[in-house]
Amino acid sequence: MLQCRSIASRLRSLLVLLVLMAPAVHAAKGDKEPIVVKDPQYGEVLFYFYQDDYFPAIVRLLAAQKQDQFTDHAEEAELLLGGMYLSYGHHLEAAAIFERMLADNVSTEIRDRTWFFLAKIWYQRGYRDKSQQALDYIEGELPRNLQREALMLRANILIDAGQYDAAVALLQNWKGRTEWANYAKFNVGVALVRSGRIAEAQDLLDDLGDMDPFNDEMTSLRDKANLALGYALLQDGQPAAAKEPLQRVRLEGPFSNKALLGVGWADAEMDNYRRALVPWMELRGRDLLDSAVQESMLAIPYAMARLDSVSQAADHYLNAIEAFYEETNRLDRTIAHIESGEMFEQFLSNDPLDSTGWYWQLEKLPEGPEARYLFHLLATHEFQEGLKNYRDLNYLQKNLDSWRDNIVVYANMLETRKQAYDERLPRVQDALARADLEGMVSRKLEFDSTLNSIEESHDWLALATQSEFDMWGEITGLEGAPALQANIPEAEEVRDKIRLLKGVLQWQLERDFKDRLWRIRRNLNNAGEALVAAQRSRRQIDETMRNEPLRFQEFSDRVYGLGPAIDDMALRVNDALVNQLAFLQTIAVNELQAQKQRLDVYTVQARFALAAIYDVAATAGEATP
Amino acid sequence: MTKTLISLIAAAALAFSVNTVAQDGEESGDREEFRSLDQDVQTLKKEVLDLNRDLFLLEEELLFPANSQVAFFISMDVGEYFELDSVNIKIDGKEVANYLYTAREADALIRGGVHRVHMANLKTGDHELVAIFTGKGPHVRDYRRGATLNFNKGIGAKYVELEITDRVKKQQPEFVIKEWE
Repeated sequence: MLQCRSIASRLRSLLVLLVLMAPAVHAAKGDKEPIVVKDPQYGEVLFYFYQDDYFPAIVRLLAAQKQDQFTDHAEEAELLLGGMYLSYGHHLEAAAIFERMLADNVSTEIRDRTWFFLAKIWYQRGYRDKSQQALDYIEGELPRNLQREALMLRANILIDAGQYDAAVALLQNWKGRTEWANYAKFNVGVALVRSGRIAEAQDLLDDLGDMDPFNDEMTSLRDKANLALGYALLQDGQPAAAKEPLQRVRLEGPFSNKALLGVGWADAEMDNYRRALVPWMELRGRDLLDSAVQESMLAIPYAMARLDSVSQAADHYLNAIEAFYEETNRLDRTIAHIESGEMFEQFLSNDPLDSTGWYWQLEKLPEGPEARYLFHLLATHEFQEGLKNYRDLNYLQKNLDSWRDNIVVYANMLETRKQAYDERLPRVQDALARADLEGMVSRKLEFDSTLNSIEESHDWLALATQSEFDMWGEITGLEGAPALQANIPEAEEVRDKIRLLKGVLQWQLERDFKDRLWRIRRNLNNAGEALVAAQRSRRQIDETMRNEPLRFQEFSDRVYGLGPAIDDMALRVNDALVNQLAFLQTIAVNELQAQKQRLDVYTVQARFALAAIYDVAATAGEATP
Repeated sequence: MTKTLISLIAAAALAFSVNTVAQDGEESGDREEFRSLDQDVQTLKKEVLDLNRDLFLLEEELLFPANSQVAFFISMDVGEYFELDSVNIKIDGKEVANYLYTAREADALIRGGVHRVHMANLKTGDHELVAIFTGKGPHVRDYRRGATLNFNKGIGAKYVELEITDRVKKQQPEFVIKEWE
């Protein structure tokens, strides 16, 4: 059925479809590539696959595989299964399939692409060693765009492992001004800063920080580069040099708070506290959630104190302590709310759970007081992936709940069927006992034999009807009557009439003999066929009576075996849900605790500075009189 | 104090690099825990999938034994001249299915997916299937067409395909019912 395309190109396009599972190229899946479906079960799997409903698609595929229903799509189905496992986040199983399938059967190009996407997914899932291993499997040259991404991936793995020099060496020959090149430059710059090679980092980051961005992403990257360079120079004791990159950061962008704070610190480092107050005062009206804004609340009185505005500085420190205290209380309330578990219930409450997959992402947090604190958690890998797992586990739990209900129904259905069978069985057995099929067969054979001898002897009288036979008997009876034996004209006349009658009857019987013989034989054949059918039915009934109890037993074993398996699995899924929830809560709470700790540090610093001011004031007071 | 404050913010400013997801040492514990939980979840997913496979097979064999099973599939070839809304199926004059397609399902059909629209248990012998397809035809006009198939149910499962194809010459859709070969 359906479209005609060559098998090779079909397989190739499927492979491409499968290996293009990563989000960067997810759009490729939208291509309306026709697939030639020969096994309906395979088409059914595709029906769910194309809707991104991976769970039902995988279940159907596994079921069809178990029943050997893929006669024309066995290989494609196995590859599709690998792809769907990947999409469903089951990357270990997917990798096993790909490793098995891609070992010999496909071109290096397809295999390399597959390894690349596996590497990417493993990296995003936090399996850095596996990601590295998959990259090592790549033998040939990847397409240019993937080549760049693969190099980036290798560099990131090195950076994560703290091998900055190796990362720098890997990326130093990067050329061009593409997005990837810029990202690579940035990563190298950061890696260099981390390894203390500020001068080398400066060239790279300065170049990036001065670029003319061609899209929003690059604008953001430029800000990041300037910020990173500015703070690196500040840390390196080069405040004057730090100001330029920090001042290049957009004033309204997501990094402006930190940049404004940094510009202030650069001036402060150069003992120009009056200038430092300008960017810091700008921060005063901004969101206190931002650590830069929090820090500016300490920086302002610090500068004021250095400018001898001691009382103003004391007021600002007091304000800061009060603000930090309120913020800490809000954080405590949020932590309590997270620990209650309600927040994660909310995550799933509006989620239809109709699709499961790797691409699912929580785009925004549910509204509530905690959302503002956790916003940037969404960007972290562990939180997003953990949330995805939490969601998937929730799906599994609902799935098992639904099967638990169904299996009870099936058990009842089976019992009802068994009861009905047990009730019917004696009646059927009784009816079967009364039906003497063997006797019927013997009689049929006797009829056959009789008919054969009638045919052989051309016994036309044997096929006469009852009335004809009676008539024949009457005629032959009359023939032998003594009264008709007399040698008189009347007797002679009657004898002639009898001869005539007998002749006519015999002629008629002989004339109809063949037709009657054919009809009787046909009826006998029909009877024979009916007998054969009856015998077949009887055998089927006998077989059913023999097998049905076994069938019931087999179904019973499955139904009553799968019931506890569902319960056991549901318990394990529930345990995993609890663990996953605890993990998510821990990440979220740790994040808030870190914010709290920072506020605590700031509060201590404010109190310390305030105490110092009071101390100076008190000492001055004592000295005055 | 200046240096302390700078180091706090500087650490934050340098904590990100592009496309890396977790760089800080303090996050490595989370990563390890995540990985361990992730492996548990993966194992569970696989086991639940396998259990679902067994349950799916049990359900099918219990509700539709192979001897009496007839499955009706909808497929589409191209779909230029017809946008499927719904299918109504009658077997031996009795309505057995009335399925309304979502845009996502219709798209999956166009891309080569095959939808098992109905499963039935039928006695051996002759049966009549009537399918009514409703949707939008050429020039986005409401379109309703029927197709019929007389088929014989023997022993063993039977698959029937309700196929919607494009008749390019007439620029019309065509509805064909046939036994799946």
